[in-house]
Order: sequence, then structure tokens, then C-alpha cells
Amino acid sequence: MSTYSRSRSALALISLALIGGALAAPKKVDGYGPLGVVKGKAGGNMTLALGDAPQSLFYYGVIDNNLGLISQQMFDGLVEFNYSTYKIEPALAESWTISDGGKVYTFKLRQGVKWSDGQAFNADDVIFTYKNMIMNPEARAGDAGNFKLDGQSITMKKIDANTVQFNLPRAAPAFLLQQRYFIMPQHKLAKFSQDGGAKAADINSAWPTNIAPAEVVGTGPFKLSAYTAGQKVSTVRNPNYWKVDASGTQLPYLNALDFLIIRDPQAQVAQFLAGNLDQLNISGAQFPDLKSKEVAGAPFKVIRSTALFGSPPFVAYNFDAKEAGLSKLFGDARFRRAMQGAVDRERIIDTVYNGLASLPGHGVAPVNTQWYTNTRAQLGKFDLAAAGKALDALNVKDTNGDGVRNLPGAGGKNLEFDLTYGTDSSVYPAMATILQSDFKKLGVKVNLKGILSSKLLSTGLAGDYEMILHAFGDQPDPELRKPIWQPGGALYYWHRSTQPASEGAAPNMAKMAGWEKEIYNIFNEAATTTVASKRKALYTRWQLLFAQNLPVTPIAKPENIGAISNKYGNYIYNLGVIPGYNPVPLIFQK
Amino acid sequence: MLSYALRRILGMVPTLLLISVVCFVVIQLQPGSFIDQYLEDPRVTRETVATITKQLGLDQPLWVQYLTWIKGIVTEGNFGYSFANGRPVAELIWERLGWTVFLAVLTLIVSWLIAIPLGIYTALNRYGIGATITNFLGYISLAIPDFLVALLLIALVLGAGGTNVGGLFSPQYIGEPWSWPRVLDLLNHLWIPMIAIGLEGVAGLMRQMRASMLDVINQDYVRTARAKGLAGRAVLWRHAVRNAINPLISLAGLSLPTLISGTIIASIVLNLPTIGPYLYDSLLNKDQYVAMTLLLFSALLLLIGNLLSDLALAWADPRIRFE
Repeated sequence: MSTYSRSRSALALISLALIGGALAAPKKVDGYGPLGVVKGKAGGNMTLALGDAPQSLFYYGVIDNNLGLISQQMFDGLVEFNYSTYKIEPALAESWTISDGGKVYTFKLRQGVKWSDGQAFNADDVIFTYKNMIMNPEARAGDAGNFKLDGQSITMKKIDANTVQFNLPRAAPAFLLQQRYFIMPQHKLAKFSQDGGAKAADINSAWPTNIAPAEVVGTGPFKLSAYTAGQKVSTVRNPNYWKVDASGTQLPYLNALDFLIIRDPQAQVAQFLAGNLDQLNISGAQFPDLKSKEVAGAPFKVIRSTALFGSPPFVAYNFDAKEAGLSKLFGDARFRRAMQGAVDRERIIDTVYNGLASLPGHGVAPVNTQWYTNTRAQLGKFDLAAAGKALDALNVKDTNGDGVRNLPGAGGKNLEFDLTYGTDSSVYPAMATILQSDFKKLGVKVNLKGILSSKLLSTGLAGDYEMILHAFGDQPDPELRKPIWQPGGALYYWHRSTQPASEGAAPNMAKMAGWEKEIYNIFNEAATTTVASKRKALYTRWQLLFAQNLPVTPIAKPENIGAISNKYGNYIYNLGVIPGYNPVPLIFQK
Repeated sequence: MLSYALRRILGMVPTLLLISVVCFVVIQLQPGSFIDQYLEDPRVTRETVATITKQLGLDQPLWVQYLTWIKGIVTEGNFGYSFANGRPVAELIWERLGWTVFLAVLTLIVSWLIAIPLGIYTALNRYGIGATITNFLGYISLAIPDFLVALLLIALVLGAGGTNVGGLFSPQYIGEPWSWPRVLDLLNHLWIPMIAIGLEGVAGLMRQMRASMLDVINQDYVRTARAKGLAGRAVLWRHAVRNAINPLISLAGLSLPTLISGTIIASIVLNLPTIGPYLYDSLLNKDQYVAMTLLLFSALLLLIGNLLSDLALAWADPRIRFE
């Protein structure tokens, strides 16, 4: 090599390094002082609990909460939530533009990001992940359904190595919020994908639990180091992570993060008390015991937080109950309002949740200031006498003197129905008993029918219930819960006769009451309008209609409770699997 | 004896087939489907449900599902795959079999070593204080379910400031190569499941052994042996115990299936990496090939256990002969 060429290549290297340095733009995690976040210390390790063994190590191959908890530490999406405001912030995408009336989303990717094995991250990985996993209907944990709007597909293309673009058939303001999908490495997964010549369904078999840990490559704060079947998942710090703290120190602070697999919640608490677990999310029922230990000087803190996420329980009456008399009554908003007066929310909050819950919103968590409308007045008061009068007014009276009210009409049957609830839950059984005893005082006979909690939704969807106690999780934007709350939606199971005859067809408008039609239209309009103030007005109207007509009767909004060892700093409550909400990189060992 | 064993083994095939049909039918009778547990996930649409149903072969008629599974076992030794894990069932069971067998065999040995001498002791000293106390403790441990014992022990250890509350290792030793500190850590954890799971077995075996000994020590041949001047020790071990142990050998054969299903709740409470909780999950979620393979395996163990105890009986008791 001549001197000339050597110096030229050296020059090229230097300029490349300069460009690289200029382009590498880590995200600064700043501004969380109000949440108690301070500058941390690098090093240390932490152990968390997993409720069961992960079924696979490939996030899009199985729907599995435990895998979600691990994946959350190993992968990132294009955008993510702000920890305190829940607003969408840049993640793997450094910036984006929305053009053409809200139909074109162009994401500029963060440059200089590397996978945990050192390979460069780029637009090909993003296109690869969306095409072969997220938009692939055969991928079991993909989300193909969200990439069709009014029957037309959303398309995407690569503009250059650091830019991708989505083209929507119509405006969809919640689209940005949804792009928290974890991006996967093309160089490791190509052989399982359609791009690599495999069948569409083969992607599900990528990264089984016996895969070599080095194969599982991500951009997240931690990378897989070992999995011991049924016992423990170990991860170590990803040296290539793309976030830094306020002073520029690379995150995460911790060197290692382990997950112990412990099924039984009591066993988890025991392991936490023994110091083998460093953080644990607990239920209201476990709170008094742990809190009293904290007060007595145990080396941990129990923290309550009124988080946005979490599932507020409700009761629903089946508008399409098999018995005609019940169906007619359940479909009457006056009946549902009357019965709300017999739902003792305060008592449930006090006794079932140990006071660690608050009054619920209607489809929106009260802490969600962006969307919540104060509907507290419509919740009414627990008043059995007033509820009785309201039932009398509906002509639901005890006509044969047996202590149970009768359905209206001559020779009406007793007002008696089943309440379906989940037996394997820490809250449902107690709640069901309270409802049963209060309804009895009102002259309404309720028979309890316990099933597995995991079967509640399928039972609801099959219409095989009369009254049901269930819960759906809250999300930051009502649009994300549209199939639940929009009449005719796939999960709107309390009035199933409004559902369309076939998937994608128009719902059965003829079966909808006036207020249901209005809610139906609200959701359609809010899903397409790009004017923020108009969306706010529409969802406000929806919450009021919800509160007045009670398609379901919400009961309480549980608080989230976590316990954390005193060894750690910068703890921010983290519910569990919320893609795009992962405060663990900020945690440090004191 | 060889031809006897062979005939017995061949006889197992139709029994196992019949059992597999019964297992399949029972699992199918359970309402709902494997996919029900996923419906609450916002990503799951009706199309997703249809796609997964098709991928898992659940859209085919039940008899086709059953025959495909049986055919796979007979022709390729393939026990199907787990819906949840997307991996072959045999592989997944194998992963968990090691610790399961280790715990079961260890518990069996320990409980026999403790129960047999105690049974003999309580039979010989039926009115003594020691025997009365032992019997009383035996009744108590028979009456307390194993998971409750486990919970009590955990509470006890926590109260004493210990950290070995569940599992087989401390977190730092899980998945590490073997070393002396790791063995010590294992022993430090092992005694809790040993007591919790073994206690009930010890009490039961002790009662059996005691009853059987009481039957035997009043027999004529024992009196004869004493009368002809044999030493007490020889009478006890060569005449009495040898005859009294027969019912226990049959019992041991029957206890083989408990390897899989015996200690589900205790395993969950104690967080043991055994097969029991895995069977529980697969039944709950209708992961049908996992559940069926495990139930079939459990039936096979019962049949094999019976055969082994018959062979052992013949060996231990010269009066029993293969016809």
C-alpha cells in the first residue's frame, strides 16, 4: 500500500468516524424530576418476578404476558410514552411528519442505533418487522387487523436507509399512538420470514425457548444472557443502548436484570420478603400486610399510584338474554340506572380493595386528563330505597308476596338471574357476594355462577350469561378501545344483536337504541377527524352518553400498588406489559 | 418370567389406547377452546382466531385430530406439539423430567427409610409412650395437606430470617454449573419440599406397615419361630417383616404415577420446576396434546408400576409364582 492510499484511507476513516459521531443521536431521558428521578449510579443488578415460564422468546409468535415482560426490556418501538404525561415521544424514530391531511406518516429513524450484537439498525429492519410480523395475519401475536382501514390496507415503503413512510387510505389520528410495536432484527430472523422464503406461519416458530441466547438480538436496554427452563430468565446490560440520562451517562444503570419464574402470588410475596425479589406488583388484598412490615422497618417501600393503565371492573346485563322478560328489562336504561343505586361502590372500594381504589370513569381513567370528562355525578349514590322506588316505577314489584320482585305483566316471573364472575381472582368473588346481598335487600334474586377468569370474555361473546362481572384495561386514547365501546363492535358483548352479520359488514343499526347510534357515530367520526379539539368534544359526549345509559355499570378504578426494595433508586411504577412504557433503564442500585 | 413380563407389556397396548380415547373425550368435553384465553388481547381479531384455529388444526373434526395424534405416536414417536410453546411435547416434558424424577425418587426413598422402621417400632411397642406420640404425629401429618405444610414451613423460614423460601436454588445459583456451594444451596432448599411432600407419605406408609406388622406378629409361624429358639432379631426380620412388607410392595407400584400428578399444588406453592404445574396449566388452557401425553404417560407409569411391583413381589415372596 502506498503512503498516499494509506493516508487517504485514514482520512476516510476519520471523516467516517466524525460523521458517525455527528449522526449518533442518543435520546436524553430528562425532565422527570417531579417523579423523583435523580442521577443514578452505574452497576448492580435487580431481580423481578415472572408469573409463569415464557412460551417462546419471539414476541410476535405467541400471545404471552410473561414473554411481553421480558421483550419489553429487550426491544423498542418507533415511538414511546412519556413516563409522566403519557404523551407520545420519539424512540427508535427520532422524528416524524404527518402530511396529506393525516394520511401520510413519515418516520425519520434515529441514526447510529446498533443492535445488541453490534449490527447497525436501519429502515430495512423496520420494513421487515412490519411486513413479516406486525402486518402478517399468520403471525399469532401480530396486529394485522389494525393495518386495514375501511377494508383497505395501510401500505409502507422505505424512503432511504433512515426513513420509512406509511400511507393510510384515510386519516386515522390514533395511528401514531399504535406505532409502539417492537422492531425485530432482520439479520437474525430473515430465515423464518416470508422475505427469506419461509411460509407466512413459520415466523411463529422463530426463537423457541431453547434457542441460543446470542440469537435473541434487540435494541432494548437489556439483552438475553440465559434461560433456565421454568426457573429463571437472565438478561444483561446492552452496551449499545441508545438512551442516556440527563447528564449524558449511558443507560441502563443496572448491569443485569433477572426474572425469577414464580407462579403463586403468595410465593412471590415470600420471595420478596426473603430478599430474593427486588420489586413486586401486589394486589390491594396484600397491601396491609406488606405496608405494616414496611412501617415496622422492613427494608422496602410499598408505593401506591393512580396509574392510567389497569382494568376497572364493571357489571353488564345481557340485552339479548335468552329469557324474553329479562332481555326486555336489561335493555331498558331506566332499569340499569335503578340497579346502579344498589351497587355499593364505597363498600367495595373499602372492603374488597382495602381502600386502594377510587370511583371509576366511564371508559376513560379519571387520571387521564387529556380525555377524561367528570361523570362522577352520574354515578349516583348507593340508596336502596331510591333504587326500589325506581323499580316500582318500572312496574317491577313483588306481586306474589314471596319477597322477590316480579317481572312486569300479569303473572310475571320472579326477577331472578345469574351473575357470572371469575372465581380465580382476588376481587371478583368478594364483589359478586356484595352485589348479591345488596340486590337481595332490593328484592332481586341473584344466583352466583363462578367460572375461570380467562373464560369471562368468551362467555360474554357467546352471549351465555345474564349478568356478568368483568373488566377491560384502560388505554390512553379511547380509539384504542373502540371494539369494546362502539355499539356493534367485536367486543361489545352486552348487546350482541347490534353486531354485524359478518365480519367487516355494517352493524345492525335497526337494533340500536338512539344513544347507541349516537355513540356508534361518535367513534366513527373521532377515528377519522384530525382536529384535536373536535376529537375531545366527541369523546366527551361519548362519556356522558355512557354515564347516562350505562351499557355497562363501572364499579371502581383500582390503584396500582408496587413494592420495591430500598436498595434501588428512581423507581417509577410500571404496571406490566405496556409496550412503549418502560422506566426500568432509569432504576439504579444505591 | 420373561414371557410373563412380555405378555403383560403387550397387554398394556389396548389398555393405553382405551385410556387415550377416554382422555381425549374428557378434554374435549371441557367447554371453550385453547384460543379463549387470548381473546382479551387487543391484537386478537376474529380473523386471528380463525387463522390460529387453522394453524393448530383445531378446525378439523375431532376424530381426525385424535387419529392424527395417535398416528404420529405410532409411526414417528411424535407426541404432537404444544399449542402454547410451539415445540414438540416430548421435548418439553423431557426438559422438566429430570428434577421431577429426582424429587420423586428422593422423596420415595426418604419416606420408606423413615416410615418402615417407624411402622415396625409402633407395631412392636403398641402401648408405649413413644409409639403413641409417633402415631399421634402420624395422624396429624396425614390430616394436613402437603401445600399447607409447605406454606407453614415457608412462614417459619421467613420468620427465622431465612431466604430459602421456595424453588430448589437461590437465584444466583439457578442455571449455574455444579459446584460445592451450589450443592449446599440445593440441600438448603431441598429439605422443605422433602418434608412437605414426604410427610404425608411417611405417615401413610407407617400406618400401613404398622397394621401389616400387627397382622403378622400374632401368626402361628412367628410363635413357632420363637418357640424353636430363634433369636428375636431373626424372628423379626426374617419371618415377620418379610411377610408384612408384601402389601407395601404392591402399594409402591401404585405410587409411580404420583411422579406427574401427585404434588401439583405443593409444587406451585413451593415453586418447584416439576411436571405437575405444567400438567395443571395444559388442562386449564386446553393445550390438548400436552395434557393427553402427560395423562397417557401417567397411565403408562401406573401399568409399569403394577408390573414392577408384581415382579418384585414374586422375587420377595417365594409363594408367589407366575402361572
